[in-house]
Amino acid sequence: MIELDLALQRGEFSLELSLRSSARALALFGPSGCGKTSTLLAIAGLLRPARGRIAINDHVLFDGRAGVDVATARRNLGVVFQDARLFPHLTVRENLRYGMPRDATAQAFDGVVQLLQLATLLKRRPGQLSGGQIRRVAIGRALLRQPHALLLDEPLANLHREARVEVLEHLRGLKREFAVTTILVSHQPDEVIALADQVARIEDGRLEALESAETFGASTQSLDAPHRVAAG
Amino acid sequence: MRRISGMAACLVAALCAVASGAAIAAAPPTIFAAASLQPALDQMAQDGLLGVPAPRLVYAASSALARQVENNAPADLFISADERWMDDAAKHDAIVPDTRSDLLGNALVLIAPAGSHATVDPAHGTASLLEALGSDGRLAIALPDSVPAGIYARQSLVTLGMWNALQPRMAMSRDVRAALNLVVLRQCPLGIVYRSDAVSEPRVKVLATFPADSHQPIVYPVAIVKGHDNAESRTLLAALQAAKARAVFRHWGFDVLAH
Amino acid sequence: MWLDHAETVALALSFKIALVGVFCSLPVAIGCAWLLARKRFFGKPLFEGLLLLPLILPPVVTGYILLIVFGHHGAIGRWLDAVGLSIAFRWTGAALAAAVMAFPLLVVALRNAFESVDRRLEHAAATLGAGGWRIFFSVTLPLSLRGLVAGLALAFARAFGEFGATITFVSSIPGQTRTLPIALYELISTPGGEGGALRLTLVAVIVALLAGLVAALMLLRGGTREAEA
Repeated sequence: MIELDLALQRGEFSLELSLRSSARALALFGPSGCGKTSTLLAIAGLLRPARGRIAINDHVLFDGRAGVDVATARRNLGVVFQDARLFPHLTVRENLRYGMPRDATAQAFDGVVQLLQLATLLKRRPGQLSGGQIRRVAIGRALLRQPHALLLDEPLANLHREARVEVLEHLRGLKREFAVTTILVSHQPDEVIALADQVARIEDGRLEALESAETFGASTQSLDAPHRVAAG
Repeated sequence: MRRISGMAACLVAALCAVASGAAIAAAPPTIFAAASLQPALDQMAQDGLLGVPAPRLVYAASSALARQVENNAPADLFISADERWMDDAAKHDAIVPDTRSDLLGNALVLIAPAGSHATVDPAHGTASLLEALGSDGRLAIALPDSVPAGIYARQSLVTLGMWNALQPRMAMSRDVRAALNLVVLRQCPLGIVYRSDAVSEPRVKVLATFPADSHQPIVYPVAIVKGHDNAESRTLLAALQAAKARAVFRHWGFDVLAH
Repeated sequence: MWLDHAETVALALSFKIALVGVFCSLPVAIGCAWLLARKRFFGKPLFEGLLLLPLILPPVVTGYILLIVFGHHGAIGRWLDAVGLSIAFRWTGAALAAAVMAFPLLVVALRNAFESVDRRLEHAAATLGAGGWRIFFSVTLPLSLRGLVAGLALAFARAFGEFGATITFVSSIPGQTRTLPIALYELISTPGGEGGALRLTLVAVIVALLAGLVAALMLLRGGTREAEA
């Protein structure tokens, strides 16, 4: 259960959002500048809302009235940033292991590595990876944290066509294999349709609609959605 | 080189005089004087004994002053705390030789902070000094290779057979006033400075005076700096040797040498 | 040997004093630099000003302050004396003087190094569960290593060449506080000491050049490594 109730002010831009979703994968969809990334950062604890309440699966992360503001490090979320943010001085293996809990098993590690096909990359440094590979490592690193929830910020942005297809396939695979609550931010309908169960349309800092992925898909057919998935 | 720069300096001075439109140059004369002369000369300047407006007084270790004078520093008079540095300046042709004379004398004393209970037994100099220094106290002294006060102190200690025992216990300072200060601040239980320094500082007391024949005579030669031999400098030189000036020097612990 | 015994002692002493001084002040410098780079707090400009003081004050003044604080009977000196850890007239005092004079250089270099580390990487580390100390040691510090080494090189050179504060605080004591710059000063002040002065000057120039070279090499390729593909 995702409970988002927050108000944010950044300069002249103001965001006010209130929604409840029991979907396993929720997408925040809207054009750039609508406030969806800010929402994600607020959930991660990197932005402080002016007021509100954020809770995921009964874990309260922020509650303005009760004075609760859990530190980012303790929110137990896996965040995949749009710019990946792999640690350039660490190998892929070290990056992957960075957030792993102490009691995590070798199997858990191997499982994610296999799923995302990272085995051949483990000894490399981020500087030696392609765009798609970087994105996959970032996803793996977030997953290996074994978080309560996964936050994905534009997971397919700025990727070449082949990389988009590759990463999208892996994300689909993840959705099948891992039962982790996911919040996905995107401005591209095809990503949303492929990965989300429910979609929150956001525009200009306000929630426009909360609908199922099918409903969303139908309403964006006219935007040549299948064409976009294929061609990227 | 000195001649050219001396001429250039004169030319510039002449231009300045013309530009000012007045018959007399505007800048007051400058005396480079050894650090130990500060209280005496400052008082003289204040009392107007050195002319009006008072000359600019620059104090430093004689070694530093000598080197600067040798490199055309804008000084009119140079008073050194020892003959060696004046000789050095003369060798570099930085002074007017026939204006050189021995202006003052001084004595070397052993001092302690004013509240100290230390005493010194002249018959057992080394032992009593070491006792006064305690287990880790140091003897404050000016650098014995380069600063006149340090050079005289070494001569005395060597003559008296105390140098070897005391050398490892010394703290050597940039100039004699820094050594004096270490005793004033009670950083060092003993120090060797000029009698004139001890006289000017109520926070230290004299434990003993080093025999005058244990070191070379402490002489303060004065001379006019080459290229600055003019009426003004000569007047200033005479003022330093006048009766009123001599009284001030004696008051501050110096010996005035007869001519 | 090209240098005589006294000169060699002074050279070795300078190395010891500068190394000990700079490395002992490194943790403090890191702390101050990190505060300046990452935190906002009341009185920050005053704090910055205080850190820069040794750079602005005449060295003799700094030496004098050290003398009345850490010397015998000083505010801190008397406690040090009481427990037998006196630094007055000792090489440890010279190390403190050198460290204080080099401190602003070190802090400025470290601060620049920390500021050049992409904070977004630090945020990413936080989302992965790393607390403040872990973020610092696993992300910030490794990525600012080049700037750190450059800062150390410059601070070392400054500490090595320190003169005014040292001689005012701990005087010149062969084998304890008579560093290379002080030995050089004494030679310059002695008629006929020009030969030795020249030798020591050459040594000082070589040390400074080497330090500058290290700093330049570190800063040449450093700085933007943290940007990802």
